[in-house]
Amino acid sequence: MSPLLDIRELVVRHGPRTAVDHVSFTIDPGETLGLIGPSGCGKSSTAMAVLQLRRPDAGEVWFDGQELTALDERRLRPLRPALQPVFQDPYGSLSPRHKISDAIAEPLRVQGSWDRTTGPARVAELLERVGLDPAHGDRRPHELSGGQCQRAGIARALACEPKLLVLDEPVSALDPSLRAGILNLLAELQERLGLGYLFICHDMALVRHFCDRVAEMREGRLVRTTAVTSPSPPR
Amino acid sequence: MTFVASLLTPVRTPGGRAGLTRLGCLAAVLSTVGLLPWLSGRDPALTVLRARSAEQEATAEALAAIRADLGLDAGPLSLLGSWASGLLRGDLGTSWVSGTDVLPSVVAGLQVSLSLMGAALGVALLVTCALVAPVLVRGRGSGGAFAAMLAAVPEFLLATVALLVCGVWLGWLPTAGWQGPVYLVLPALALGVPAGGLLGRLVADALPAVLEERWVELWRGAGVHKARISAAALRRVLPPLVPQFGMVAVGLTGGAVAVETVFAVPGIGRMALGAAKSQDLPLLQGAVLALLTLGLLTGALAALVRRRLLGPALREAGLTLPAARPVRAHPAVPVALGAVLLTCIGWGLLRDPYTVNTTARLRAPSWSHPLGTDGLGRDVLARLGHGAASTVGTAAAVCLIGLLLALALGFLPSVASGASDIANALPPVIAGILVAAVVGPGTGGAALAVAVISWPALSAHAAALVQEVRASTFLTAQRAIGATPWWILTRHVLPSVAAPVTRHALLRLPGIALALASLGFLGLGAQPPAPEWGLMLDESRAYVERAPWAALAPAVALALLAALAVSAGAYAEGGATRAASVRGRFALAFAFAARRSRKEALQ
Repeated sequence: MSPLLDIRELVVRHGPRTAVDHVSFTIDPGETLGLIGPSGCGKSSTAMAVLQLRRPDAGEVWFDGQELTALDERRLRPLRPALQPVFQDPYGSLSPRHKISDAIAEPLRVQGSWDRTTGPARVAELLERVGLDPAHGDRRPHELSGGQCQRAGIARALACEPKLLVLDEPVSALDPSLRAGILNLLAELQERLGLGYLFICHDMALVRHFCDRVAEMREGRLVRTTAVTSPSPPR
Repeated sequence: MTFVASLLTPVRTPGGRAGLTRLGCLAAVLSTVGLLPWLSGRDPALTVLRARSAEQEATAEALAAIRADLGLDAGPLSLLGSWASGLLRGDLGTSWVSGTDVLPSVVAGLQVSLSLMGAALGVALLVTCALVAPVLVRGRGSGGAFAAMLAAVPEFLLATVALLVCGVWLGWLPTAGWQGPVYLVLPALALGVPAGGLLGRLVADALPAVLEERWVELWRGAGVHKARISAAALRRVLPPLVPQFGMVAVGLTGGAVAVETVFAVPGIGRMALGAAKSQDLPLLQGAVLALLTLGLLTGALAALVRRRLLGPALREAGLTLPAARPVRAHPAVPVALGAVLLTCIGWGLLRDPYTVNTTARLRAPSWSHPLGTDGLGRDVLARLGHGAASTVGTAAAVCLIGLLLALALGFLPSVASGASDIANALPPVIAGILVAAVVGPGTGGAALAVAVISWPALSAHAAALVQEVRASTFLTAQRAIGATPWWILTRHVLPSVAAPVTRHALLRLPGIALALASLGFLGLGAQPPAPEWGLMLDESRAYVERAPWAALAPAVALALLAALAVSAGAYAEGGATRAASVRGRFALAFAFAARRSRKEALQ
């Protein structure tokens, strides 16, 4: 089976500093790769480069059999929905001016697949799938809790019918009591839809619990990749 | 204002781009001044011929001789070149009307104006102390509303009222001329009180929050004398405010034009206005140049003082003031003021403002003429109503132009910040004089001048908002779902920028109307017989002793407009802080959660 995502020798530079230094990894469909490392080690830069939201300076990003770095913005746009981010800040990732239902419907509108008769039902279905009451659709982000906003952000990503989710510290900003709920939701979605996850985190315990494999980054380089099927060896 | 300071420092990025814009704007203003004779499309030869020898026939040869004499037949570049080279040699040219050297008259006018401004600064300091002292003594609260009122009253209005009350009715002080210290009192008051109101408001608004800072508590607990705490609090408040003090000083140069005109003081402002009206462009160039230099120098001085106060360790945003506590503003005040104004305007609109009735001149208020009649027997109420319609209509058009410009230029933040520095150094009256010299006095020219001055503030606001939106995560999410740049711009960026900037533009409406009225008062805006508030005030000055109500009606209307500007601004500010506190709460919650998770990760 060919991998869903294949990153080869990825390089991202911020001015003179090399944030991501020749990083390579793969993710299979239905697999979760944890990306872990201290603050400023290049995790988020890697995520942005994988998503092509910041074009990498060198290297290849093969996604679903296509090399994304070779495509220009116009040809990349139709492919973008298959690769969706979930951000750390639950409030900031939704427009404060728009209702939740509009935010979830926006991918459909952008891609021209919005239908006035079936659209609202689709939005309600997405809200239910992420564990929100369809009545929450009429609210704005500041009227919801952080956990509810994060669920709405996941619903927006699902509206794109993605194959890969890039989860950039999706529970770091949430209360510990809410984290389990979001992680369980993500696990359930993966099982049902066969999504691949790139899970960025700095919490080793969480990563061991949630991921199939763990890649460790330090100062822009990938230092090791370990499988977590068996208990990790003592260090 | 760090304008000159930034010109002197080497160009660096990203401040370098703004510095370059500043340099470009300064060059543009200077070349506008230098090119005035060529820019003003109307041929000044005839004006100059009439001024020099009234009896001579305006033949083609005579006009051509004058053109050659003035150097108008050469192209714009050589004109600019000769003006600039003359400037470097200290030669400002000769007056077209009187034929005398410009430099000595400019220096003489500058001496008078500088002593007037010095006295005005003294008055401003006294007013500031009077406004700040109660805050320091009580330790909290502020005279904010009263100070804001003082700051909003335009100089020409205060000058006219002071002349009317102290000079004409009470007869205490001389009202025109420049023959001794007594002649200084009224002009200095008219010029200094609004400036003092602005300064006092700035300090009095910032003080309460500073007095609640921890160190004050500590000093009080340690038994430090109240006077020392007050002095330290003032020293804490002043450095961040000094750039705004510089702007107040710049505003004095604009106010001087109006005040010197009202009190017939032979200063540089009156000279500039007279030169603009008689098309004596070399004299105008010299006077405007002197006023601009004065403004830029005070700005540079303010930057220097700020540096001295802050010391070597703290630079630019090194010491910021705590956020002023939200003032509780009630919507009833602006609504009531607006209702009174609208009633008068609506009533006046139903009446005829142009019918001249010489048998009913200067009538006192009566049932048939509720606000009396003016010198030509025209109904004052009708003129007030129609004047408001044209003034507010023009102001609305200016606002709209400024808004559109701001939204377009908001995407180029460095342009906006550089241009707003220049606009801050250029009071509306001076811009009005320059525009009037180029296109002639008129409503359009006045609107253009005020628009040129008012867009940079809006534009800077729009630029800040665009930056904020562009940095937000939800915009990144938009790109990730495959939205086109056009979709992001029209659905997300523009809507979040347009609403607050539109609100800002609406709040500036009364202030813009006041600026238009002040240009009308100086004869640079609407022309007779148009019913414009500033113009009405100016016309009624001639017979103010016989018919004070004709002057009082537009004066009261303008004061109401100023009060409306202040109270609406205060209310909107309160609303903004309310909204910001809601947003801030979420940001804070987010920051706490993030910190907590980091701590857990470390354990």
